[in-house]
Amino acid sequence: MRLLVFRTGLPRRTELILGLAGLFAFLGAWHLTAISGLIKPQFLPTPWAVVEAFGRLFTERNFAGDIAISIGRVWAAFTLSVVIAVPLGLMMSSYRAVGAALEPFVDFVRYLPVPALVPLLIIWFGVGEASKIAVLWMGTFFQLLLLVSDDTKRVPGEYVESGFTLGASQWQIMRDIIMPAALPNIVDNLRITLGWCWTYLIIAEIVAASSGVGHVIWSLRRFVKTPEVMAGIVAIGIVGLLTDQAFRYAHRRWFRYQRR
Amino acid sequence: MAFLSIQSVSKSFRTDGVETEVLTPLSLDIDRGELVTFLGPSGCGKTTLMRMVGGLESVEAGRITLDGVTLGPPDRRRGMVFQSYAAFPWLTVRGNIAFGLKYRTDLTNAEKTAITDRYLDMVGLKAFADQYTNRISGGMRQRVAIARTLASDPDVLLMDEPFGALDALTREHLQQQLLGINEAEQKTTIFVTHDVEEAILLAHRVVIFSARPAQILSVVDIGAGLGTQRDEALRQSAAFQSLRHEIQDTIRVEYARAREAEEAHAV
Repeated sequence: MRLLVFRTGLPRRTELILGLAGLFAFLGAWHLTAISGLIKPQFLPTPWAVVEAFGRLFTERNFAGDIAISIGRVWAAFTLSVVIAVPLGLMMSSYRAVGAALEPFVDFVRYLPVPALVPLLIIWFGVGEASKIAVLWMGTFFQLLLLVSDDTKRVPGEYVESGFTLGASQWQIMRDIIMPAALPNIVDNLRITLGWCWTYLIIAEIVAASSGVGHVIWSLRRFVKTPEVMAGIVAIGIVGLLTDQAFRYAHRRWFRYQRR
Repeated sequence: MAFLSIQSVSKSFRTDGVETEVLTPLSLDIDRGELVTFLGPSGCGKTTLMRMVGGLESVEAGRITLDGVTLGPPDRRRGMVFQSYAAFPWLTVRGNIAFGLKYRTDLTNAEKTAITDRYLDMVGLKAFADQYTNRISGGMRQRVAIARTLASDPDVLLMDEPFGALDALTREHLQQQLLGINEAEQKTTIFVTHDVEEAILLAHRVVIFSARPAQILSVVDIGAGLGTQRDEALRQSAAFQSLRHEIQDTIRVEYARAREAEEAHAV
């Protein structure tokens, strides 16, 4: 069977086998490098040592609790971003005045690197939960605002004009036409933005936290527990992957009408 | 006074500080229940005029009245069918047709259901009522849009090249269907097209527009020549063909004039 066919799909089974083959090739190369003795195990433990460390994280310390705390922070900040960004983004695209007033400021803030804001946010909010949520919020809200504004702006003019000639008011058009028309794209952007939350979360937890995945990784580093540090990173990857798949599943279910 | 009256309406657009005249002041009266087609070269301004009737473009000079009252922003009295299929993909065929009805407080739910069923039936989509619109063909989507507009019972139906993107056979089928609907509903209709045969087949009167800036070249009374009884066989009749030649000649002369004017302008 030919595998390299230009711009053509493959059977699902073949894709799955190729995906697993890629993963195992990576793990194999890693394992061989680790046991070759070229790199000290403190720097590069074997994949299996990482798996064992992963188990120890859950048995020897309450890693599940740290994961729960991190997930809680991500969702608290993310929800806060969404409930403000979605209506405000809709207003920005609906009324040029709102867009004109907000866009320059939002563009400015959007380009500020979030880590640079961490010291300021700690001065303002202290080292408690508020500052972590503020960091995540700063990192996602302004991006999401522009994404929602763009998604709603892209709703075809004919949809809106049809709405008017069918007797809908501006408010009804926003609720019954623009929102449902833009929703599939908005949900897709929420999925992407949620991924960014994890990046900022780890930064926030490394700088100032006594709990959470980022804190665990950072404190284990001090004892050069490399397998545990790697296991912690893998844990973030797994949570991210599961969330992403959940979003994709929901997208397929909710927007079934998009499938032909 | 006529039911729908366009009185000395003109329009210009400003882009990059340059004023472009789209419509020279023109007037047109349309009777209740009349189907008028706007025929003219692409981009001549006929769509702009129709959109002004719909309230989707502002009227800066002149006025447009419906039943003697000057028209303003878009509302339910003027229903619009677009060339691009504007059926909503997140709703089923039934949901689309019922869309405008949910804003009506003067109807009971039973009445709304009855109206939806009536138009589902009229456009022959009963079997597809629960399908989402991206699973049906372009022709069916356009029938959904027509039914949706009719269901909200507008005083004037505005159609902007609604069959322009369809294949020839589907287009013929929908033209026949529209003739049937028009006979049943007697809706005052403006139908924009650049297809001469389509303009003749559907119309009581054909309004021929010049190239931009648009003015009315002539108004051809089709009803006087062909009568009101229309079907596919009519296309082959001598009367139809002579009308087609007459209108095509008018347009050909106009194209030549516009091209000459353009070339003279370029030099």
